[in-house]
Amino acid sequence: MKLVKQLFKRWEFILLILLVLEFVVFGAANPAKFLRPASILSSITNYISICIIALFVTFVMITGGIDIQASSIIGLTSIIIGVSWSDGGLNIWVSVLLAILAAALCGALSGFFIAYCGVQPMVVTLGGSFLYSGLGLLISGMSKTPAYQGISGFPSKTETGAFVGFRFLGKGMLFGFLPTQIFIYIVLIILCSVLLHMTKYGRKIFLIGVNPQAAEYSGINTRLVIMSTYILTGIGAAISGILLTSNVDSAKSDLGATFTLSIITAVVLGGTLSTGGKGSIIGTALASIIICILRYGLPLCFGVSSQNLDLPVGVILIIIVVGRALAESGKLYRFFMPKKKTS
Amino acid sequence: MSKIKNILQVRWMSSLLFLIALIILTGLINSDFLTYDNIVACFNASVVFTLLAVGISFVIMTGEIDVSIGSTMGLMAAISGLIAQEKGSPVKMLILAVVIGTVVGIINGLGVAYFGVPSLIFTLGTCGVIRGLVYIVSQGKTVENFAGDFTGYGTQVCFASITWYYAIVFVIAIIAHLLLTRTRRGKYFIAVGDNPGGANLVGISVFWTKMAAYVLSGVFAGISGVAFASKYGQITISAGNGYEMSAIAACVLGGISLSGGLGNIAGAAIGAIIMSSVTRMLVFIGLPSTYDDAITGIMLITIVVIDALAQRSAIENARRKRLLMRTALTKADTDAKGGAEV
Amino acid sequence: MESMLSVKNIYKSFGTNAVLKGISMELKGGEVLALIGGNGAGKSTLMKIIMGIYQPDEGEIRVAGEKAAITQPSQALALGIYMVPQEPLLFPNMTVEENILMGFKESASVLKKRLEQCIQELGFDLHLQRKANTLSIAEQQLVEILKGMMREARILILDEPTSALTFDEVRSLFKVVQDLKKKGIALIYITHRLGEVFEIATHVAIMRDGVVTLSGPVADFTKEMLVQGLLPPDTEHKDHGSREYKAIDYSKLKPVMEVKDLSGYGFSNITFNLYPGEILGIAGVVGAGRTELVSTIFGRDKVLSGKVFLEGKDITGLSTKQILEAGINYVPEDRHYHGIFGISSIAANTTSALLNGKAVGSFLIDKKSENGISQKYVDDFRTKIVSLADLMSSLSGGNQQKVVIGRALSTKPKVVILDEPTRGIDAAARGDVYHIIQKLKEEGVAVLMISSDMEEIMGLADRSITVYNGRINGEFDHADITQDALTSASFGIVKEAAS
Repeated sequence: MKLVKQLFKRWEFILLILLVLEFVVFGAANPAKFLRPASILSSITNYISICIIALFVTFVMITGGIDIQASSIIGLTSIIIGVSWSDGGLNIWVSVLLAILAAALCGALSGFFIAYCGVQPMVVTLGGSFLYSGLGLLISGMSKTPAYQGISGFPSKTETGAFVGFRFLGKGMLFGFLPTQIFIYIVLIILCSVLLHMTKYGRKIFLIGVNPQAAEYSGINTRLVIMSTYILTGIGAAISGILLTSNVDSAKSDLGATFTLSIITAVVLGGTLSTGGKGSIIGTALASIIICILRYGLPLCFGVSSQNLDLPVGVILIIIVVGRALAESGKLYRFFMPKKKTS
Repeated sequence: MSKIKNILQVRWMSSLLFLIALIILTGLINSDFLTYDNIVACFNASVVFTLLAVGISFVIMTGEIDVSIGSTMGLMAAISGLIAQEKGSPVKMLILAVVIGTVVGIINGLGVAYFGVPSLIFTLGTCGVIRGLVYIVSQGKTVENFAGDFTGYGTQVCFASITWYYAIVFVIAIIAHLLLTRTRRGKYFIAVGDNPGGANLVGISVFWTKMAAYVLSGVFAGISGVAFASKYGQITISAGNGYEMSAIAACVLGGISLSGGLGNIAGAAIGAIIMSSVTRMLVFIGLPSTYDDAITGIMLITIVVIDALAQRSAIENARRKRLLMRTALTKADTDAKGGAEV
Repeated sequence: MESMLSVKNIYKSFGTNAVLKGISMELKGGEVLALIGGNGAGKSTLMKIIMGIYQPDEGEIRVAGEKAAITQPSQALALGIYMVPQEPLLFPNMTVEENILMGFKESASVLKKRLEQCIQELGFDLHLQRKANTLSIAEQQLVEILKGMMREARILILDEPTSALTFDEVRSLFKVVQDLKKKGIALIYITHRLGEVFEIATHVAIMRDGVVTLSGPVADFTKEMLVQGLLPPDTEHKDHGSREYKAIDYSKLKPVMEVKDLSGYGFSNITFNLYPGEILGIAGVVGAGRTELVSTIFGRDKVLSGKVFLEGKDITGLSTKQILEAGINYVPEDRHYHGIFGISSIAANTTSALLNGKAVGSFLIDKKSENGISQKYVDDFRTKIVSLADLMSSLSGGNQQKVVIGRALSTKPKVVILDEPTRGIDAAARGDVYHIIQKLKEEGVAVLMISSDMEEIMGLADRSITVYNGRINGEFDHADITQDALTSASFGIVKEAAS
C-alpha cells in the first residue's frame, strides 16, 4: 500500500499510466490499425527531433534556464552538412563532425552570455534562434542548390534499396524491425539518464537549479556548468539535424523551425519544473512518447485531422499544468475539503 | 553632455536613436534609401508587428510573457477572412477581435495570475489550443479570395504617403503609451513588474493588473489579426506562427526588460519598426534578405548583453558603495566626535 | 493628550517559538520612542504586527484611542501608520515622484502640489524626476519618509534609518525627525546606536527575548543603564556548553590563519590571527560587516587590500573552490538563501561541497560513500531524519543546520567559519550545535564563530573580537569576555578597561 502511494507521488509513474491508457483507449477504438508495432515506432520517428532535443533541454531547464534556440540549430546543422558535403566536397562524416562542432559553438555562445553576462536565458536564446536560423540561411545561400529545393542525394542507397552509410542513420533498420533512429534515441535516453542522475556533473546541475547561491558556497563552478548545458542542447540539436537530414534526404536551413514550443511542452509535461531543480530524463522521454502516440492515435482512431493536433496537445498541457499548480498550492485540496472555521 | 546621458537613459529614446542610426547607416551605403517615401514605407510595413508588440508589452511590463498572441492573431485573421469572403463589415471583425481577444486574455490571466502556472508554459498551452481553433474555423483550408475592397484598405494613404492603417496604429500606440505612463492605473503595470511586493504594500492588486495586461495583449493580437488579413489577403492555417517571438524581440529591441517593470509602449512601437524595416534596409544595402534573421539576432543579442552588463554593474556598484559608506562612517564618526568612547 | 498608538499584551509565536511574550507600549503624538534590542528580540515582528503584515496571537492595538484590527498593510495605511523599512521597498525603475505617488487615488495635479508642499516643509533636497535606482540608500529613505508624509501618517515607524547613512545625512534626518515631532506626529525609532537615543528620542524602550525589559522617558536613563537593559538577567541560564573551559596555551601555537589589514566591501583594516584548536568569537550587531568579512575571506567578494594566509600560504582573492581545497569551509548566516538545497535530498546536501574532489566518486556518484559520509554526520550530530533520501526542506531548522555543518566538515577543513550558527533553531538543537563546536575544538580545528548572541560567545569562545561599523573595535581574552564588554563594544561603546 505504502509502495503504491510512493509510486503515485512519482510523476513518471503517472506518465506511464497515461501512456498505458493511451494504448488501451486507442487500441480499443481501432485495434486493427493502431496496434501495429511498425506504425507505432514510426510515429515516434516522425517527431524524433523533438524527442531528442527535449532530453537535452531537460538539463537546461533543471538549472532554471530555458532554451528556445535549439530548433533553429537543427536547420543550421542540416545545411552545414549539406553545403560542406555537396559544395565543399568534404567526406560526409567530416561534414557531420563539423556540424556537431558548429552546433556546440552556438550553444556555447548563448550559454556564455547567459552564465557569464547574466542575461535572461529566454532573451538570449530568442536572439540565438534568430541568429542561428539566419546563419543557416546565409550558409544555404553559399550553395549552388537553390535554398527551397534542399540539398539531396546523400550517400547512400544500394541497388537493393537498403540504406548504408549516412542515410542508414535516418532510414536504416536494426535487426530488421528497429529503426536506427529509435535505437539512437534509446541510447541517448540511457546516456542522458546516467549523466543527469548518476554523475557528479548531473548532481551539480540539480543543485544549481535548486539554489544557485548555495551551489556557489559549495564551491561549484555554477557558471561553467550552466554554460555547458547549453552546449549540450546544441549537440542534441545537431544530432536531431543529422537524423532529420538523413531521414528526408534533404539538407535545408529551415528544418525543425517550428519545433520550439513542442520541445518545451514535452519537457514540462515530463515533470521538469520551469523554475529548476526538479525533473528527469525518463519523465521527458515518457512525455515525448505520449505526445507522439497522441498525434498518431487521434487521427487514426478518432478521425481528428492530422493537421489539427495542436488543440488536443494544448488542452492536455493546460489541464496538467493547472492540475499540478493546484495540487502543489493546495488549492485543489481546499476546493474539495472546505476549510473549517477555527475560532 | 549630461543632457545626452539623460536622453540615453530614457530607453525608448535610445531605441529611436538606434533606428535613426540604422536609417543613416543604410543611407551612407546607398543614398537612394534616404527618400521620404522609403522611410515612411518602413513605418507602413510595421502595422501588424506594432499592434502585437504594443499588446504584449503590457504583459511583459508586469514581468510575465504571452506566447499565444501569434495564434490569436492567426485565429482572428482567419475569422476576418471568412467574414470578408461574405462582404462582411470590418466593424464586425473588430468587435469580434475585441471579444475573442478578451476571452483569450481572461483565460491566460486566470492561468497565470490565479492558478500561478508559469506564464510561458500556460500560454504555450493556449497557443496550441488557439492554433487548433484556427484549423477548425478555416476547416483546414487557406482563407483567401476576399470579396470587396477589404484588402485594399491597407494601401490607402491617409496623408503624406502614410497609410490609414499606420496612422490609426500610430494613434493607438500613442494613446496606449500615454495611458501607461501618464495615468494612475497605467502605472500599475510597471509597478507590478518592478516590485510586486512593493505594489501590494501600496494597495495595488497584482491579480487584476496581470489580468488586465493579458486581456489587452489578447485584444491587440485580435486587432492585429484583422490587419493581417487585410494586408495579406490570404490566411494559411499556420498564419502568425512565430510572430509572438518577433513581437517579443521587438519589445526587447525597444528597451523593455523581460523581467518586467522597465520600458514603455513607445519603445515597443519603435522596436517593431526596427524589426520590420531590417529587410527593406538590406535591399538597399545590397545584401539579400537572407541576412535578415542573422542581423536581427545579432542586434538583439548585442543590445541585451550590453544592457545586462550595464545593469549588473550598476547594481553591484550601488551595493559596494553602500558597504564602503559604512566603513567610511566610522571614520567620520570618529573625526566628528573625537572617538566613540564613553 | 491622548495616546496615538497603544499596544497591549501582544503575544506572537511562530510554531513553538514564542517571539513576543506580552508586549505593551504607548506612544503619544509628538513623542519619539527609541526602540532598542538585539537581534531576535522581536522588534521587527512587533512592527510587522502594527503594519498588519502579521496578526498577533493575543492582544490589542489601539490607534488614537480606537481599537484597530489591522489585517492588511492597506488598513494600517488607512489608519495613518507608515513604516519606513530598513531596506526601502521602492520601484527601482520609476522616478522619485512616481514612487511617492503610486497608489494614490487623487488627481495628479493635486498630489503634486501636496508633494511639493511636503518637500518644502521638510526642506528635503530631492530631485523628483530622478530614477529610484540612482538614489543612495539615504535618499531612498527620504523617499520612504515622504511616502509616509504624503499619506498623512500620524504614526511613523523608522526601522534603523541611519544604518546606511553618512554623517551629514544623519544630521539632516535628525532635523526631519525634530520637525515631525513638532508637527505632532508619533514616531517609533528603531536603532542599534545608543548615542542616537539621547540625541533625538523622548522615550526609550528596550526589548529582549520578546519582552520589554525597560522603558520610560529618556531623561531617566544613562547609556550604562541602557546597556544593562540589553543584558539578560543573571538568573536565566541556558546551556552554552561552558561547563568546563580548557585554557589554550598560545605560546607554543602557530596561527593557522592570519588576516592582515584586510579591507573589502563593508569592512576595513581587519587584522587577527586564528590558532588551531581555538574558538575565536566575532561579536557585533547585524550590519557591522562581519558577514561581509568572512564571506570575502571565503572568496565570495573582492578583497580591496590586505592579505589572508592559511598555514603561511597566501590565499588572498582565491575562488571559493580553491579556498575550499585549501582547507576553509563556511556555514553561512542566511541558511535559506546560501545554505540549503531545499528540494534536494539530505545526502545531496551533505556532500555538495565534495563534488569537486574524488570523495564521492570520480565521475559517477558513488552512492555508497555518499550515504556513508552523510550517515556519519547524521549519527555524530544526532540529526533527526527518517531517510537520507528525504528532502532537506522536510527537516526542522535545527536539523537543517546540522546537515549544513556536516557539509562544512565534510571537506576536512582546518578552519571552519560559523556565521550565526544557532540562529532560528530550537534549544535542544542549539545544545547539540554547541557540543559539535566543542568537539571540533578538541580535534584541533580552528573555529571562527560569528554570533550576535553574546552568551554564546561567552560560553564557547577562547578569545573574541568585536566589530563595529566594519572595523575591529575590541579584542578580548577569555577572562575578559563579559556580556557587558561585548555588548558595549558591539554598540560602539568601548570601555577603557576592556581593550
